[in-house]
Amino acid sequence: MKQPTSLLLLLISILSISAQEKSIDTTKINTLKEVVVTGQINPQSVERSVFEVKVISRKDIDLQAGNNLADLLNQQLNINIIPNATTGKSGVQLFGLDARYFKVLIDNIPVINDEGLGNQTDLTQINLDDIERIEIVEGSMGVQYGADAVSGIVNIITKKSAEDNWEIRPYVQEETINDEYGFFDQGRHIQSVSIAHNINKELYANGVFTRNQFTGYSGDKLGENHNLNDGKRGYIWLPKDQFHAKALLNYSSEKINSFYKFEYFDETVSRYDSVVRMNYNPSTQTNNPTVSDEIFHSTRFVHHLNLNGPLAGLLNYDISISYQQQKRDVETYNYRINSEEKFDVASFEYESRKGFYSKGNFTNFIKDPKYGLQLGYEISEINGYASTLSGDYQGDYISRMLGSYDVFTSFEYSPGKRFSIRPGGRALFSSNFNPQLALSLSSKYSFANDLELRTVIGTAPRLPGYDELYTYFVDINHDVRGNENLQPEQGVSLFMHLKKPLKFTEGSLRLQNKLSAWYIDVRDRIELIIVNETPLAYQYRNIDTYRTWGLSYNNSVYYKNLRFNAGISYTGVSKVLNSDENYDDDYLYALQLNSSINYSIPAWKMVWSAYFKYNGPQYQFVQKQDNDNNTIIVRGKQDSYSWLDTSIKKSLLDNKLELTLGARNLLDITRVNTTATNGGAHTEAPSNVLLGYGRSYFLKLLYNLNI
Amino acid sequence: MRKNLYFLFFITGLLLTGCSSDDSNEITQPFVVAFENPSASFTTEEASKTIKLVFSESAPEDGTVFITYTGENAVYGEDFTTDPVSEEGTLNVAITKGSSALSFTINKLQNPMEGESMSLTFNLESVTIENSSLQGNTELAVSFTEAPATGGVIAAEVGGANEPNQVYVDLSSQTQVSAQRDSWDLGFYTGTNNRVILNGSIYMATAALDATDIDAISAADVSELQPAVAVGTFDATNTAYVDSPDGSLEGTALAEITASEDSKVYLLNLGYEVGTETAEAGSVEITGEHRGWKKIRITMSGSDYILQYADLDATEHEEITISKDELTDFTFFSFNTEEIVEVQPEKGKWDLNFTVFTNEIPGYGSYGYADFIVNNLQGGVHAYMVSTEDLSYEDYTIADLDETLFIEDQRGIGSNWRNGGGPGTLPSLKENVFFIVKDGDGNVYKLRFTALLSESNERGNPSFEYHKL
Repeated sequence: MKQPTSLLLLLISILSISAQEKSIDTTKINTLKEVVVTGQINPQSVERSVFEVKVISRKDIDLQAGNNLADLLNQQLNINIIPNATTGKSGVQLFGLDARYFKVLIDNIPVINDEGLGNQTDLTQINLDDIERIEIVEGSMGVQYGADAVSGIVNIITKKSAEDNWEIRPYVQEETINDEYGFFDQGRHIQSVSIAHNINKELYANGVFTRNQFTGYSGDKLGENHNLNDGKRGYIWLPKDQFHAKALLNYSSEKINSFYKFEYFDETVSRYDSVVRMNYNPSTQTNNPTVSDEIFHSTRFVHHLNLNGPLAGLLNYDISISYQQQKRDVETYNYRINSEEKFDVASFEYESRKGFYSKGNFTNFIKDPKYGLQLGYEISEINGYASTLSGDYQGDYISRMLGSYDVFTSFEYSPGKRFSIRPGGRALFSSNFNPQLALSLSSKYSFANDLELRTVIGTAPRLPGYDELYTYFVDINHDVRGNENLQPEQGVSLFMHLKKPLKFTEGSLRLQNKLSAWYIDVRDRIELIIVNETPLAYQYRNIDTYRTWGLSYNNSVYYKNLRFNAGISYTGVSKVLNSDENYDDDYLYALQLNSSINYSIPAWKMVWSAYFKYNGPQYQFVQKQDNDNNTIIVRGKQDSYSWLDTSIKKSLLDNKLELTLGARNLLDITRVNTTATNGGAHTEAPSNVLLGYGRSYFLKLLYNLNI
Repeated sequence: MRKNLYFLFFITGLLLTGCSSDDSNEITQPFVVAFENPSASFTTEEASKTIKLVFSESAPEDGTVFITYTGENAVYGEDFTTDPVSEEGTLNVAITKGSSALSFTINKLQNPMEGESMSLTFNLESVTIENSSLQGNTELAVSFTEAPATGGVIAAEVGGANEPNQVYVDLSSQTQVSAQRDSWDLGFYTGTNNRVILNGSIYMATAALDATDIDAISAADVSELQPAVAVGTFDATNTAYVDSPDGSLEGTALAEITASEDSKVYLLNLGYEVGTETAEAGSVEITGEHRGWKKIRITMSGSDYILQYADLDATEHEEITISKDELTDFTFFSFNTEEIVEVQPEKGKWDLNFTVFTNEIPGYGSYGYADFIVNNLQGGVHAYMVSTEDLSYEDYTIADLDETLFIEDQRGIGSNWRNGGGPGTLPSLKENVFFIVKDGDGNVYKLRFTALLSESNERGNPSFEYHKL
């Protein structure tokens, strides 16, 4: 049942209702300055920040109507979202480094997932409904954000205030998945309600409930009840059903600010095996096909209490205390397709992380505005669990506690308005690894002609993961082991940003240019290497080096109702693979372009926007066998591809109703050909990578009830 | 008011899209009862035979199967009886709800006269269960004289995911005999050649030492050599330490046994015990504890083998004389029991052996294989593979047989009946191939594998069907 037409019908019926309305009102103009908090001693404007912080505003989030963080970040330069068709997760890749090197924070503290705290985040599990803005900082941020903040961080800032006494916002969003859509059984169906209320002058509360149901993308596959072993059972993108509930209570007064935030998240992902055991019975000449399916069920709880304010005129404090947990359970069973009968049902914990976290920031010790001193601590005790089904481990499961006990400091010196410099350091103590040190040195210089130059040097370690520490895959033909003596990898980054805002006071034209250059170096990179030739044995060791450098140039133009942005980035990656006998550490370069355009027509209360990103060919050295059976190194290539999203947003009924109609992935990208992957001992290298599920259309209807 | 109306509309929309349909598309197919095998035969010694009927699925309700039969030179009450008792050529057998098979028994009262054939033909008439159908093996031929099976199904009892058993299957008599994999170590050939094989199913390996005095060897002498004398070391030259996987006796790791004084002492890797850990679904746990090492020296004394053996550091050795027992192809010896043990059926009484196997990957050396199938090369059994792209199993007849495709290799089936798997994918049944097997008596069968795994996804549960051409 494929019916994108029903979505169209819904649209037409809604438009016909709205056509009867006539009232017109001017939209409020948001004149607030962009304020950022990420990495700051005190929240301050983007211009004043010593770090270069990229901001995705609520407006952008709404225009893209992305339903999770993955949709949104896909349009950013240097970021690639890598979906995993087997697990249903989507991880980030920034400067070619995967999700283990990247941290996701909500309100300044890392958010837990079933594989880590902050890092390894599945971006599809981060809901955007209560978000004020998103701040992205590239580069190693070990001093401010601790271990694993190697390639960068994203800090999600949630809403903590409302203009009206009551703000109630229900919305529905209907999306096609490629050309698959049905009111109930196909497509993406989102229903959400958010309620915000100013209880009194000082107390604010909000709650958000969102259900996001993704019925899976079948493509040429035929779903869970297909009963032939032709590889067509199941889905290309796994069906996923998510539920988010969030609540926040914020107290603001002159003396103290405080909020308590609660989040509950629940997700069910169904993995239907494509291998069908036909169980042909030659005697009766009948089949009784069976399969082995897995249903994953994840839950996340986050409690976050924050207190901040001045303390007796001596200093300012900002303390967060949090308890978080995310658990992924799995139900495994065998299934007789013909009789729709489950048997051998077993449920158990698949993977989890849970624990206590606290971070404190103490500032404003010195009253002289030239100086800023920051002292802080960040501690966490995270209990992790991994079942044997989640990896090849010795014994029944892995269970460990990782304690991190860090202190950090930074000092900002601004002798004049033009120049400021900020050195910083963090000592990282851990229950499992040797003490580590992270350092940073940032500076900002404003030239007379408004030109701003920022230089940011930072370091951050990356802690080894469970697979690297505890893998145990040993049988007669294999010997692959983790290494409990591994030490953290060491990331160092240098970023330089040159920024030039141009304001033409006469007209309404504004321009902004930014040129960035960077160099990132990850040493002691952990790789699986041959530790013994006879018998052949592999183990994880700290051995390799990863280097990347690049340039990006970004231009923004604001003219009347038009906002246009274009960026280009050129990145080179070099890998020193001491783990391999043969390697080539030449730099391989890749080009990315992105562009966005927003055009608003106030008279019609409409905003049109388009987002485009071009990902040029990506190269990687791969090993091949030549005709004489010698191992040679060749340059593999992943083809280029582009993302194009567009939407029209229209306000109706006194701005009560907001209607967004759009298309995501207009260029219909699903798979991209590649020769840039190494094959395994038993497997041929895959010839393509899965990146999307093709063009999809969406319709979002949001109702603003402000009392 | 109007505002609230829209709000209401909105909430309704929310609820509407929040619902989801739960359509079911249960596939109804008829309940089928059939004879498990199309034929059965009595040996002279056998007095009764159990006939099994199988169902396509577990029985949805109680019922009855009506079977008729006709006899050739066979009279009820004189030559045979049945249990349950039958009347005038009909037999009724009860089906119990929830069961997946049933059986009845034929008792032979007397053997047929020499040279006379005596047989029964059973036919399925009807089943009382609603929506049932009779298809597949609806007819059963029972011979009271020994006759090769016309076909059938065999589920080799390999024993699940630890694959503990080596199963010897004889197609013509439709029988299987099994031995635990680690119940033997060395097999002494009973034919004219003087050759000794290793037990490759537990990944044994051996290397000749530059010594002829077994007592003079100590563990220190071999410690450097030991890591290489093993299976799966990914060293292309390690095939010298294991028997040639093609099954040729010339390729044994132990050199031809002679009476010579210069016969070498060998370092012997005893491989692994059968695994005991529970394997993950669809996977295997083949190996258990390592069984240690021995030093051995084998010489001939007349037509007897003399086996000297000892632990590596022992300064004295044990010695046993092993005579050639002509009934079997090999005489098997176990270091566990230090005795001769029974493993294989008698010569020519088996065609296929389901076993764990030490194979080789050219360029990478020896490599352990689960789910392997060996044809009895000593017994003159050969096999080759046919792709269903060329010809379907059903359409294949004796006219399609191409004798030149038979190769002198015990791996005629080998691991070709399954897909190998790899990271993220488990091995699975190959559904687009079948095999032609010719036994030592010249019977030719086509043979198709129907399972690698149990219904519950447990490895070590192979089954196949075959038909005599």
